[in-house]
Amino acid sequence: MDKQEYKFSDIIADPVIRERFEKVRKYFFLRESTYDMSNRCNIRCEGCYYFQGDKQFAEENRSVTDWRQLMAAENERGITFVVLAGAEPSLVPELCKTCYDEISLGCIASNGLILLPKEIDYRIHISVWGNDATSLEIRKAKDMLVRQMDNYGGDPRAVWVYTFTPLNIDQTREVTEKLAANKLQITFNMFSAPVGYDGQLRHTPDSLARTRTAMMELLNEFPETVLFSPYNVVAHTHEQGLHDLFSCSYPRMNPSTDIGLGRSFRQYRTDLKWDRAAACCVPDTDCDDCRHYAAGSAVVTARMYRHAANPLHFSAWLDYVDTYLAIWVKGYEKGVNLCRDMIEPPSGEE
Amino acid sequence: MADNTTETVSRIAEIIINELKLEDVTPETFEPDLDLVDEVGIDSMDLATIALVLRDEYGIRIDEDDYPKLTTVRIIADYIDSKRAEKE
Repeated sequence: MDKQEYKFSDIIADPVIRERFEKVRKYFFLRESTYDMSNRCNIRCEGCYYFQGDKQFAEENRSVTDWRQLMAAENERGITFVVLAGAEPSLVPELCKTCYDEISLGCIASNGLILLPKEIDYRIHISVWGNDATSLEIRKAKDMLVRQMDNYGGDPRAVWVYTFTPLNIDQTREVTEKLAANKLQITFNMFSAPVGYDGQLRHTPDSLARTRTAMMELLNEFPETVLFSPYNVVAHTHEQGLHDLFSCSYPRMNPSTDIGLGRSFRQYRTDLKWDRAAACCVPDTDCDDCRHYAAGSAVVTARMYRHAANPLHFSAWLDYVDTYLAIWVKGYEKGVNLCRDMIEPPSGEE
Repeated sequence: MADNTTETVSRIAEIIINELKLEDVTPETFEPDLDLVDEVGIDSMDLATIALVLRDEYGIRIDEDDYPKLTTVRIIADYIDSKRAEKE
């Protein structure tokens, strides 16, 4: 590794790096919080984070007026990006629309089996857990990919999120090829075990290594389809989880309330209450096993300072942020990855 | 030390104004005890960018764990001056 000491001004003197930095910097204003929209789902998946812990038992508040007031209050305290999730937001489209009317940037995590109205112009993350045979086994739903593509084919809001488990690594190609043939886009997530989960979906060192190989192959073969970068691959398939690598900044693992996620992030349940002790993007995940794509989007991005040690690490960080913005912000176009190699994350030490 | 700190305060204010493209304020009129988070509205990514510029300017490292403490220009100036004193 390059031991030369670089000034930040030297690193961004490179016109390619500077251009990318200025591109992503325009989105530094994004401040997120997440919201459970419904305590119901039209399918039931093994290992689903929503149906772990006690949040699943929160009452549903389906009052449009209450949701509008909540979003107005969120806007007032500086939230600029909402993530609508658990259990299945498409079951309450009127609430999703209310959120959109108040805060125009956001994303909806959906299983994609029910089409959300076009006027909700958020990014829509459609979950995939393998080919349709595996989906039937794990999610108890038939023809998931076919039905998802029927609903969201050609929809610029949609990006498919493939969650790698030890059981579906070899199925990613089949899914990616189908999406590529229809000019759709996919990004990658890692199954991250809920607290107490000890089932067959928990990753092992072997499955992490196999996932890494699969991700890199698909990234190289389908660059127009796969929204990812080599540094994303490293960060999400490392034997150390995201917290060990980057020190998670979500309130659940970060006691500081002074600035950043520790200050502003909240995870609201369906009764519109939130609990700081449980606040992160994927509550009830085992933090030691967390490699979740949503967590990385915030946790890796927050560590700009340590990546600005040399042009290589800063380029890798820029790729990561460019990828995260393309996945989460509708209309943001991902650029070509600047760092083509898989490099180890910086330690954060001097 | 007092003169050094005054100079540091002014330079940090200038850096923040430039980096955040703040209008209607100059290094001379920037209130050094203004809360940067509550009253200026900067967030962690802004502060990380400012920290990198300060690293270049003063040749000191600002530890990531120290970010939350750096809530005013005066506190940043004191922090930098103490780091520089440690190096001397």
